[in-house]
Amino acid sequence: VNRIVSAEKRLREASDLPAVLDAAYNAFEDMLAVFGAYEDPADGTFAAFVMSAASAADGRDAILFAPSLPPHRLGGPPALEDEAQPGVSAYQAARALAGLARLLAARLEQAARSAPDAPDRAACAEAWRDARCIHVLLTGAEP
Amino acid sequence: VTSQPTFGDFLQAAGRQLDTAGASMTTAANGDVDEVTQSLLRVVTVLDRYARDATFPFDEVAAADTPLLNAWARASLDARQALANAAALLRTRGVPGPQPGTPPATTLARHLDSAAVSLAAGRDLLQTHFAPGPRGGRQSRSDWAPAIGSPPVTRALLSELASLAQQVAAQGAALAWSPLPRTRGTREDRRSLGAACQWLDVFGATIQAAQQDEPTPDGDRELLHAIPLNALPPRRVPDGSEPVAGLCDGATGSALRARHAAWDAAVQATWSPGTSVTSLRRVAAASTLTSYHCEVLLRTLAARTPEAAENRAALLRAADAAGRARASWLSVANALKQVTTDTPGYVSPAAAEASNLALWTGRLAYASPEWTLVSGPAHPARAPHDLAPGTEDIPAVVAAIHHSCETLTQLTWADREQIRTAARAGRILVPTRSLPDNYDIPHPYAHAPLGRVDSLLGVYEAAGAANARTRDAVADIAEATCAPSRMLTAARAAARARPDDRLGVERVRSSGLPVQGKVPDLPGPVESTLRELGVTASDLLRRGAKIDRAGERLISAAVGEGQSLRRGQPGEQTRQRSAATAALINHALASGDSRAIALLRGQTQRQSEPPEREP
Repeated sequence: VNRIVSAEKRLREASDLPAVLDAAYNAFEDMLAVFGAYEDPADGTFAAFVMSAASAADGRDAILFAPSLPPHRLGGPPALEDEAQPGVSAYQAARALAGLARLLAARLEQAARSAPDAPDRAACAEAWRDARCIHVLLTGAEP
Repeated sequence: VTSQPTFGDFLQAAGRQLDTAGASMTTAANGDVDEVTQSLLRVVTVLDRYARDATFPFDEVAAADTPLLNAWARASLDARQALANAAALLRTRGVPGPQPGTPPATTLARHLDSAAVSLAAGRDLLQTHFAPGPRGGRQSRSDWAPAIGSPPVTRALLSELASLAQQVAAQGAALAWSPLPRTRGTREDRRSLGAACQWLDVFGATIQAAQQDEPTPDGDRELLHAIPLNALPPRRVPDGSEPVAGLCDGATGSALRARHAAWDAAVQATWSPGTSVTSLRRVAAASTLTSYHCEVLLRTLAARTPEAAENRAALLRAADAAGRARASWLSVANALKQVTTDTPGYVSPAAAEASNLALWTGRLAYASPEWTLVSGPAHPARAPHDLAPGTEDIPAVVAAIHHSCETLTQLTWADREQIRTAARAGRILVPTRSLPDNYDIPHPYAHAPLGRVDSLLGVYEAAGAANARTRDAVADIAEATCAPSRMLTAARAAARARPDDRLGVERVRSSGLPVQGKVPDLPGPVESTLRELGVTASDLLRRGAKIDRAGERLISAAVGEGQSLRRGQPGEQTRQRSAATAALINHALASGDSRAIALLRGQTQRQSEPPEREP
């Protein structure tokens, strides 16, 4: 779940459109890693995680088609942590992921409104829908 | 379960009409021979269409080769000839028809008309599973199509039609030879009617003789009767008020819709926007959940089954298999995170139906009537005696699981085909950020490396196998519990009867004799290209097929004359390198022309020999 915390930090700190897109892309990737680590049918979050992972991948791909996305990851390679963190239950992970999805949706909505170019706006709008969908799947409520 | 009309409905309706006509024969023998002749012609025309459907693989079998066919194949050809003779006799009378909308006055004629309508509707129902195919053939449009065209179902169909034909023959003959003074018709008319009825009787007797040689099992007749109309049941979403039986119906209907959509998706053109990674991911995620729900349902059914019962062990085995299928779908979902397509964002009908199926099976599996895919935390499973209060309630639940597992299996194959097709067209992409650093690509995405596509296809392959094993395990339970879905197993078994051995054509082919019927039925390179471009106009496709056939003939002729085939000649090297030429030669091989096969295969074998040592 450390990835979630880092992803939130990057999203909050992103100031311009390329940085927001880069942070959003990485945030979706981080979510995918966490969903993968907690895919256990014995957990009550199984259905929500499986469906959310599909939306996270769709959101990442939507950003991929934004022209202003930097060609290379800003801030170095991602942490290689893709296992469930000891002491963190699936429910706790779900809460953390929902928080990230809410922040992601907010930043993407903002970018979709303010980006100067239409293709960037369209990519952000599509990714916003996916972030929103993840929040709904994890909490049952709109962000 | 889905209240779809079945072929049996129409066959039985025709039988009832003829039974009623037979019951009133003592009074019906007084009637108008002209009217009955015309009505009988309608029946014979429909029967003839059925017979043509059954015998089309033999259209181009030379008369001298027919002794090589098996008893059923010969009988079907003889039966078709008998029907043609009957029709010819009835047509020669040239009787004027009644005014449109005017029912005939003769009782027998009215019943024959009704029977003809029912039989025609039954044939229409069967045809809904096919679409016009290349070279005048037909192509499958549903998962029932292979069973309908299978030898067991064809034999059952001919047997049923033969029974009806003999019934009709007896009734027509009774009128034709009736001494009653009230029968209207000239002597010639009565003679033609009587002769036509004799040919109908020959049709029946011919099929009966084949049946004595190789009887039609009752199960095949049952399968024939169960063939449903190929139409989508309406899309439904659970509203929370459904009892378990309603949820079973809903899950089954949703499974049928998803199968239908999967079938359509698997045959999409390479450029179709329907192939999108979003759809593939939705299918994988939803199918992971559906597999899980099936596992939960099977364990719940096992829990309400006495420990000593044989079915309990089978249910637990099937539940374990469903667990493995769930894991395989999860692997697919994870593999799909690594790739994307050129048209993300599109949600296909198959993906929408797969999600709906997850919803229906979830409602069935969980106790909460409000459960949805976004319900979040865990929900307790439905109590065993709530799921199936009595043993009579078990088959419907098993059928819903069986249909779901069948659908999941077909979805794996359909999606694998989509990926294969999209990969061939270079439409499977990877984010360049996910590639190793030695890939220096100035774009955010690139064509997926071959290894990644192969790996993805391998994951689908494994999922297909895991889902098929679950389906087979549930099929055994369906058989044991007499669930209505057991017809799925029978249909698959019928379709597995060697597709080329349609009533014995294989014996002719294996004899080395040239059989150039429609058995290969593969579009050639020109026709394929037209289809891939989205051309659907039948005249254009026919012209493409003609060009392909002309190409086959040209290649055969050239090979026969030994043109450009000697090793080491530049012409051969060019031919070897050309994919287009390979397509043409493959098509010539598939044409079944024995001369082309012998010469081209011989050439291929020669080419694979080690090179000669230099002197």
